[in-house]
Amino acid sequence: MKQTNNSTLQVPWTGYLAFLVAILLFSGIFSSSDGWLKAFDFNVLNGSFGKIQGVDKAFTFRGVGGSGARDGFLFAFELIPAVILALGLVNVVDGLGGLKAAQKLMTPILRPLLGVPGITALANIANMQSTDAAAGMVKELVDAGQITDEERSVIISYQTSASAFITNYFSSGAAVFSFMLVPIIVPIIVMFIFKIIGANLMRLYLKIVLKKPLLGGINHDN
Amino acid sequence: MTTKEITENKNILDLFIEGAKRGFTIGTTSLLPNVVMAFVIIRILEVTGLLKLIGIVCSPIMALWGLPGEAATILITSIMSMGGGIGVAVSLYTSAHLDATQVTMMVPAIYLIGNPVQNIGRCLGIAGVNTKHYAAIFSICLINALLSIWAMRFILMFA
Repeated sequence: MKQTNNSTLQVPWTGYLAFLVAILLFSGIFSSSDGWLKAFDFNVLNGSFGKIQGVDKAFTFRGVGGSGARDGFLFAFELIPAVILALGLVNVVDGLGGLKAAQKLMTPILRPLLGVPGITALANIANMQSTDAAAGMVKELVDAGQITDEERSVIISYQTSASAFITNYFSSGAAVFSFMLVPIIVPIIVMFIFKIIGANLMRLYLKIVLKKPLLGGINHDN
Repeated sequence: MTTKEITENKNILDLFIEGAKRGFTIGTTSLLPNVVMAFVIIRILEVTGLLKLIGIVCSPIMALWGLPGEAATILITSIMSMGGGIGVAVSLYTSAHLDATQVTMMVPAIYLIGNPVQNIGRCLGIAGVNTKHYAAIFSICLINALLSIWAMRFILMFA
């Protein structure tokens, strides 16, 4: 098995620092602060396009009143810097061990919340970034007899809803970052909470409709 | 461990450039085509008058979330693709069918629906989920999405 035991997982101190900085960057806490702290805000770093002076008003290069593919192209063109910046930052955080720090911090939380064995934590963490890789890891766990068919359905209920939410949100979601009315981190937290709610709805469904007792990861824990 | 190797071989600037390159690729090969497609879809719906019709037909349902009927197109597109759902959302925003509050409310829902058209193969298929549980899993995704719109509406009251 390729599973890494969480207790032996080495997280460098830079990992925790990178994870903390990432949370600050995307939380928007410093968006309206004055002075140097402003540098810790995603939208401040993303900046703004220059304005082209019109007769009455100044516009960005996209202008106003466009429609169809042409307007869509220029609009998407405006969004690309945000995606470049977001994925650049996420890669720095990952490279410094920030996602490993997230894994270490989340493993003890996920197990009681989902009611599945601790060994599944790695697959569920991988699901933050990849749909396919995480689903493949779940399959391996079932094949190796580490989890049951019902537990697989509970885990997949968690995984498929908002699958690869970090990757997907920071790539396509960047399209709404500039005009969204909540800090960038808020939808991530909402998605994470509902993923957990979804898994528990599946537990409830299995228990009530199919009358399958769930072991809650206690009897065959590793 | 791969992470350790990366930190040893690459400094922060290299890491940023590596991620930024991926961002450029995703931006140009995924986000841009998705947004252009969404703008064209919305254009077709506008020109044919279908958007107005969807707006009227779906308005009693979408009113439950305080959203106009047109917002249903975002949820329908999200069933096929998350990027497409976001694209439709920004298109409806730029064409003034939805305001910033309404788009913000729908952001988590677009992802929570979990594009079942793709994930039936990519997530459930790969993991080999018991087909008897498929309906329940997809229903749960939909429930998650619909509940999240209310949750976001609640959060927006304090934002």
